[in-house]
Amino acid sequence: MRAEEILSLFPEESRDRWRDVAKQAKRLQEIRLRAGMPLSILVDNKERFVDRQGSLVDMPEEADRPAPEELEKLLGHLCRYSIYAFADEIRQGFLTVRGGHRVGLAGQVILDGDGRIKNMKYIRYLNIRIAHQIRGAADMLMPCLFEEGRVMSTLLISPPGGGKTTMLRDLIRQVSDGTAYGPGVNISVVDERSEIAGSYLGVSQNDVGIRTDVLDGCPKVEGMMRLIRSMAPQVLAVDEVGSLADAQALQMAGGCGCKLLATIHGGSLADVKQKNYMRYMMEQKLFERYVTLERRQGACRIVEIYDREGKPCTRQ
Amino acid sequence: MYKAVGFLCILAGCAGWGHSLAGQERERVRQLRTLSQMLSRMQSEISYGKHTMPELCLLLAELNDDCYSESFRRIYERTAAERGMDFPKVWEEELKKCMELFPLREDEKQTVAKLAKNLQFREENGQAGHVGQAAAFLEDRYRKAEENCENKSKMIHSVSILTGLLLAILLL
Repeated sequence: MRAEEILSLFPEESRDRWRDVAKQAKRLQEIRLRAGMPLSILVDNKERFVDRQGSLVDMPEEADRPAPEELEKLLGHLCRYSIYAFADEIRQGFLTVRGGHRVGLAGQVILDGDGRIKNMKYIRYLNIRIAHQIRGAADMLMPCLFEEGRVMSTLLISPPGGGKTTMLRDLIRQVSDGTAYGPGVNISVVDERSEIAGSYLGVSQNDVGIRTDVLDGCPKVEGMMRLIRSMAPQVLAVDEVGSLADAQALQMAGGCGCKLLATIHGGSLADVKQKNYMRYMMEQKLFERYVTLERRQGACRIVEIYDREGKPCTRQ
Repeated sequence: MYKAVGFLCILAGCAGWGHSLAGQERERVRQLRTLSQMLSRMQSEISYGKHTMPELCLLLAELNDDCYSESFRRIYERTAAERGMDFPKVWEEELKKCMELFPLREDEKQTVAKLAKNLQFREENGQAGHVGQAAAFLEDRYRKAEENCENKSKMIHSVSILTGLLLAILLL
């Protein structure tokens, strides 16, 4: 099934070439296509190349080099021949496709009169990032995040690629479905970059739980307010808090009685305390738990869990 | 007696031929109306619904009857991600097959069949605008055909009966 999902990313006439790559689906992380450059893939953190027949090779000289027209055809297929329907995503530089996989785009941007990105043309670089949902990623965390059967507001902290989103996704799923530590509750997710639920045509491609509502592609600040008014969530989840406006919107949501699940970029709690919006969130005591994460040997690990005062908690 | 029967047969044959020609004209009007409505619907779904082209085909398959419904359903099935066939090619193939037997003019058939190829899959306004142009072309043809249809039908009926009379007189 997974291999077929990978194959379906490509137009019918080029699928034969991708069969060997699709067989690696479970370990496949990225497929990189650059016009006139060797086709490469990332499997188990190791770069390999794809030759004209579709076989995997180790030397870039043996690899096939896609023409710009091939990339345009692939983009047309990924956009279901409807660039207009994906204009907002293209403006942001990525597409979310069926299966929750993300396609990063680069080429030449077109700016409007105010210097903002209006569109993108000559898209000559595609990076297909294969989505892998890790069920149970948050298992270790669950005992520390519940108090009297209720989930506590939690902020996940890790550097880019540290596994925050993977952890948040599984946390959302478990809190939504219910666990031994607490019953399932209604969760609303503002999925600004379609990374949590990986929605495609409005349908969540990742399992985010049975009581989860997803607002896809919406800016965080606007999305949080909208969800509180419309969906009455008990828990609100957002990815990558990155500004004072985000922190203030979280404070407003917390003030409405919602528990919060969020992530932030940073190496450690001390590191993120340097940010003014993080200091604001700590002063307001928005979160009851801070969890620092790191990726070691390809797996996401919990480094430390802190309480609302920023003091390390005793891990159960 | 035989002459009278023969006279009536020739007359009936020619009247039937005329009736069939007039029917074709009415069918052309009906087809032009259906096509222009379909394209107008496509235009508004692109502008407001932001549906992708295969989804639009599925929507049109549910809204139409005749062979269009089947053709649009097949286009959706063949171009959806699982099959992933080339959309402009499939669109042209399916709609050409569907319109083959319809009494439409060649340029009218081409406007519809080549639509997907000419779209070039541009941004929203360009895409909707191009579909709108095709819809306006067919709408114009529909209006003209509808205006002329009644007069043309009367004329075809009269000419066919007169031709029958003339033939009958000449042959009998």
